[in-house]
Amino acid sequence: MENSVLLKKVEELAQKLDGEVEVSIDTPVLKIKGNRIIEALSAAKAFAEVPCDFLHDLTGVDYPERNEFEVVYHLSSLKGAQMLRVKATIDRDNPVIDSAVRLWSGADFPEREAFDLLGIKFSGHPNLTRILLWDDFVGYPLRKDYVVDSYEERRRLRTLKPGE
Amino acid sequence: MEVDKEKELREAEEMVKKNIILTTVDTALNWARGHSFWPVTFGLACCAIEMMAAGASRYDLSRFGYEVFRPSPRQADVMIVAGTITRKMAPAVRRIYDQMPEPKWVIAMGSCANGGGPFVDSYAVVPGADAFLPVDVYIPGCPPRPESLIYGLLQLKQKVQNPAKVRLSRHGK
Repeated sequence: MENSVLLKKVEELAQKLDGEVEVSIDTPVLKIKGNRIIEALSAAKAFAEVPCDFLHDLTGVDYPERNEFEVVYHLSSLKGAQMLRVKATIDRDNPVIDSAVRLWSGADFPEREAFDLLGIKFSGHPNLTRILLWDDFVGYPLRKDYVVDSYEERRRLRTLKPGE
Repeated sequence: MEVDKEKELREAEEMVKKNIILTTVDTALNWARGHSFWPVTFGLACCAIEMMAAGASRYDLSRFGYEVFRPSPRQADVMIVAGTITRKMAPAVRRIYDQMPEPKWVIAMGSCANGGGPFVDSYAVVPGADAFLPVDVYIPGCPPRPESLIYGLLQLKQKVQNPAKVRLSRHGK
């Protein structure tokens, strides 16, 4: 179900933020640079007629061959059938992007997950700590160059910290 | 009349002899322990669902006296490690084991608890409960069916009731 009103708005937005628009299985995909992400998300949230005001999911993708991370935002709405995907690329050596928590407080945990597993730093996040792995874990396991600990190391019992 | 009375009394004496069993305290206690394991109530993954099924009416673990899942490890004497042990969870599992009073036994239920299962190469999973627990019985399966768990508990019963056999098999005899 292609939404031509939404597609037109996304194209305008892409021109303004100098990004690109693709259509993937009827869903517009807006590709932008990481430093414009808050502009893009707040504009999409405030689209007239077809607001994309519900953050469905937020994930990170590792592209070592391009030396980039991609942060993917899935937006939809409770007010209509529109869906939008925003992909922001950031540098792999300095993975910092603005946090979307100020727009959607529901972005809190997905951003912590992306930080935990990929090491993407979300500036402005209220509590950017590991969420799935334990605090002493070294490395970011969903990065494609991550090397898993040895069998012996994984059989060693971790010591609990006080209060854990 | 007297003869009949005498016969009756002698039969009664014979019956009393048959009802007296001489044994050691250890054997009696082990017999009792083997018939009433009290497992700790906890599950780590999908194997726990099969464990619950084993405890529910269809498979009815209480037929064997093993149904009293205790909410506190301090009241339990067998730990069924049902599921994947993540490295984050492992110290907590060990703590539960440490809180159980002696004598205590551990059953590793399912492939994950036996040796990591499909997650053996994962960064977050302990490959096998025997890394940090003294496992008595390993139950294979992914997940094992409730029958397997019951069979595993009955094997543990054999182990508890026949300590001499266990000692021998430990030395390969």
